Amino acid sequence: MVEITRSYEIEVETIDSDHRRLVKIINEITQALDDKREAECARLVPEFVTLSKQHFAREEALLAKNGYPGVEKHREHHAALDGKMDTMLALAERVVESTAARDALRKELIFFLMDDVINEDMDFKSFLMDAASRKGNSTDG
Amino acid sequence: METSAIQGLHMVGVYHSYGSTPVLNNISLTVPAGELVCLLGPSGCGKTTLLRVAAGLERLQAGSVTIDETVVAEANLQLPPEDRRIGFMFQDYALFPHLSVLENVMFGLFRRDKAAAHTRAMDVLGQVGMARFADQHPHMLSGGQQQRVALARALAPEPRLVLLDEPFSGLDTDMRGRIREETLSVLKQTNVATLMVTHDPEEAMFMADRIKVLGENGRILQAGRPADIYYRPASEYVARLFGPMNMIDAVVTQGKLASSFGIMAAKRAAEGQVVRVLIRPEGLILSNGAGAEGGTPVDVLSAHLLGDSSMVRIQVREGANRGEEFQVRIAGAFDLTEKGQIWAHVDPRHVFQYPQD
Ligand SMILES: [Fe+2]
Ligand SMILES: [Fe+2]
Repeated sequence: MVEITRSYEIEVETIDSDHRRLVKIINEITQALDDKREAECARLVPEFVTLSKQHFAREEALLAKNGYPGVEKHREHHAALDGKMDTMLALAERVVESTAARDALRKELIFFLMDDVINEDMDFKSFLMDAASRKGNSTDG
Repeated sequence: METSAIQGLHMVGVYHSYGSTPVLNNISLTVPAGELVCLLGPSGCGKTTLLRVAAGLERLQAGSVTIDETVVAEANLQLPPEDRRIGFMFQDYALFPHLSVLENVMFGLFRRDKAAAHTRAMDVLGQVGMARFADQHPHMLSGGQQQRVALARALAPEPRLVLLDEPFSGLDTDMRGRIREETLSVLKQTNVATLMVTHDPEEAMFMADRIKVLGENGRILQAGRPADIYYRPASEYVARLFGPMNMIDAVVTQGKLASSFGIMAAKRAAEGQVVRVLIRPEGLILSNGAGAEGGTPVDVLSAHLLGDSSMVRIQVREGANRGEEFQVRIAGAFDLTEKGQIWAHVDPRHVFQYPQD
């Protein structure tokens, strides 16, 4: 089970709620793998990838709107994750027949979520918090 | 809820500086239980500092460190190393010379009663194949055997996190390969989270489930599986970590880059922009004819057998890179007596583009 904890929150509701939705799907996928319902990965993993891409776009728009100076770099970081998402989609097609694919997919998903999606966002956490306090209101929307 | 439900190490937003010199710049990482993450970088990139912060040997200045369910460091909280349930294998953390192998391993088990400590120490010595050396002293052991005992000592107290700092650097090449394979297999059986520091890309590739490349400024340059780092290096710096590279600078013309090896589509670059194209020596393939994929005729200048592969120097005869020299790695020996024109073409899996500013 993955749970988002306070230290992993960006403290911007649109981003944190996206992250929580991604966590929820990862938990469904790992649960499906644990319960030998591997076939469900064919639906869940593409859903996870689609949601990730939507989230990246939303996050980039939010960063641009708030004038975050590292927005281009973060956009590049997201773009560089395409290959990893392709790998996860390819692995998802093989989980029914292959134990190795199952293990690799589980590993990829956890690292992708914790490291590539959430940890990397810590880069702009303090910027957005400062932006919010400067404006005296929320950076959301 | 304060902690993460993923078992293992979580470092979030870690900054560190010595005086006014920043060494770690907002580092966050996760090492799930049962996984091994390698921090790969040159000396002075802060990787050892990060390990020492995780261990509690260095005071955390900003951010948080969680091991399993326990926050071990954050603002106003610093658990001492001995309360973090960590196993160490550090370069400068040698075995105690005056203690036997068994006593070395029992050293960290002082919280258990003597009989239980003895049983546990013998168990873990068995796991690393060193039980029959229990009564010997470190100086009687080979470097590899000492390393196994050090691993047993690290694992004996059943740590939740193991930290390895260049653990194999004192071993000769032969022994290093064997010991790191054994170490990896024992760590995997133990299902413990492991964070390892190395400057050796090959070692990181071999050991890691995930590599985090640190740059000189104490920032993470790229994180991914060894295959991601090798086949999709995010920057020229990361690409060059794994040995020599061939280099072509080309200008984007109608969305394409021209070279003697053929035309390729420019990625993420604007018209007229200079793109640095890097090709690994194994990404150039030599053949006796043009082949289906095209390629370019070359002269072979030299060939050196390195063991199971050879490094061949070639010079391009035609096209945009006419007269330029390239390095090619081929399997086995190169036959210099072979007649006929040699052609080179590229394997796109080993070609990387980096638009220049
Ligand atoms: Fe995000
Ligand atoms: Fe992000």
